Amino acid sequence: MVGVIRRMNALREILWIRNGPGAAILPPNVTKIHLEFARKMEGGHMGPRKFWRENLPRLKFWNPAVPMIVNRIADPLGPAILTVYLREGGGPLAKADVSQPSSATDGMSKAPPPANDEKVLVVDMKGLRSDEILKEFLKKTSAVPVETPLEEKMEIQEIEDLRRRGQIDRERNAKMLQEQRREKARLAQAMSEAAAIKASAT
Amino acid sequence: MASTNQCLASLARLSLGPASRRPAASTVPTFLLPSVSSPLVRHATSGSMKKKAPRRKKLSKTFRSHDLSNMEQFSLCDAMRYIRAFEVGKPPTSVKYELALKMKSSRGGPVVRNRIRFPYPVKSDTRIGVICPEDSPLMVEAQKLGAVAVGQDSLFESIRAGHFPFNKLICHTDSEEALKKANLGKLLGPKGLMPNKRHGTITSDIEGTMRDLVGSDEYRERDGVVRMAIGQLGFTPKMLAENLQVVVARMKKDMKVINDEGFTKAIDEVVLGSSHGPSFSLNGKFNPTDEKITPGDLESPM
Repeated sequence: MVGVIRRMNALREILWIRNGPGAAILPPNVTKIHLEFARKMEGGHMGPRKFWRENLPRLKFWNPAVPMIVNRIADPLGPAILTVYLREGGGPLAKADVSQPSSATDGMSKAPPPANDEKVLVVDMKGLRSDEILKEFLKKTSAVPVETPLEEKMEIQEIEDLRRRGQIDRERNAKMLQEQRREKARLAQAMSEAAAIKASAT
Repeated sequence: MASTNQCLASLARLSLGPASRRPAASTVPTFLLPSVSSPLVRHATSGSMKKKAPRRKKLSKTFRSHDLSNMEQFSLCDAMRYIRAFEVGKPPTSVKYELALKMKSSRGGPVVRNRIRFPYPVKSDTRIGVICPEDSPLMVEAQKLGAVAVGQDSLFESIRAGHFPFNKLICHTDSEEALKKANLGKLLGPKGLMPNKRHGTITSDIEGTMRDLVGSDEYRERDGVVRMAIGQLGFTPKMLAENLQVVVARMKKDMKVINDEGFTKAIDEVVLGSSHGPSFSLNGKFNPTDEKITPGDLESPM
């Protein structure tokens, strides 16, 4: 198995999910979030997809009890809609209320109609950038963004530094390797030419 | 002499490196010198041209066991919370929780290898092939039980042609001789499909073995680690914990057999990962550390 230090470095990825755009706590009356967009990015579906890949994990981490369903459809001309279900009474959700098909990649998990005491908020995501979608979503639901604690800020800075140093090293190594390969090719050419001359002389 | 001149001229053209300002004669590597001069001059350096093969590092007798005091470890619910966040919006039946069980183990001893039946089954795509005498009642029976490929020589032919419609293969004792003669070890062995008495895949009870195979998963130690899928993303913490307990209990039983033979084998670390997310080393606890979160929160549909 891979060593502890390397694995811990890889695991610092969890800082990414704890902090950043999308890390927000939803009000307790949000019962469900449903996203529908196309599997491919053509026709204004790139923003929704980015929102799903980058912002939704953070939202899910801070609100693990809220179902967040993604329904991806095949047709790029289809809609790109974010639906938020809100409970009118404001009370927290009873578990039996949640009857919901799970996420699907074949468009089979359509957004269900709201229950009697629910209302829906709709964001049309088509053609929007992911940060615009997030802004709209946070404004409509009045979710509270999570503050990054100081120690985690410092750790994030550390990771940034590590990445930058790694980039410098990578570039230097690439240069060195290229030089080595060029030298080898030159030598090979010289040898083949010398062999050709030798053959022609005899 | 003419050949020497020719050769030097070609070298000047090539300009082997930045040091080409020096007199050309000194830059000529020995291997480029024409053969005319070679029988007279013996080069002291010619011996060192042969490279010695780099000496191999000696492997330790046991797999390395890491000091885990620097490893951050998580309770099961914490790990599940992270994994569910990383896998949000993925179809919950195809995404799996994956387990890596690291063991204190020696290289080249017996390995842990067995089948396990989970309380909550993980996979549903078992396709079984059965080797049994052609045109026997066994063949009909196996087909009735849902085998995807049945037969003896016809099955061997299709395997030789590189056609594997199954991912599990069992053999009836009546066909054992034929299987040995067919010489398929090279094709089936690397895929782990070769029927074998020790693993219970050469059997006289086709029905019982097939039943076992359908609901059970195989695991096997490789490089001191057993890796297997232990749950679907949609599982609740309780379901996953039950599956995990069954695996660990079973593994302990397997290890005891090996310990009795005089080999060391003990659980070192338990790591929970998923199909696309990062992996978390577990500390053996269940409840989440965050007081605001309950295990019930991790039961919502994905």
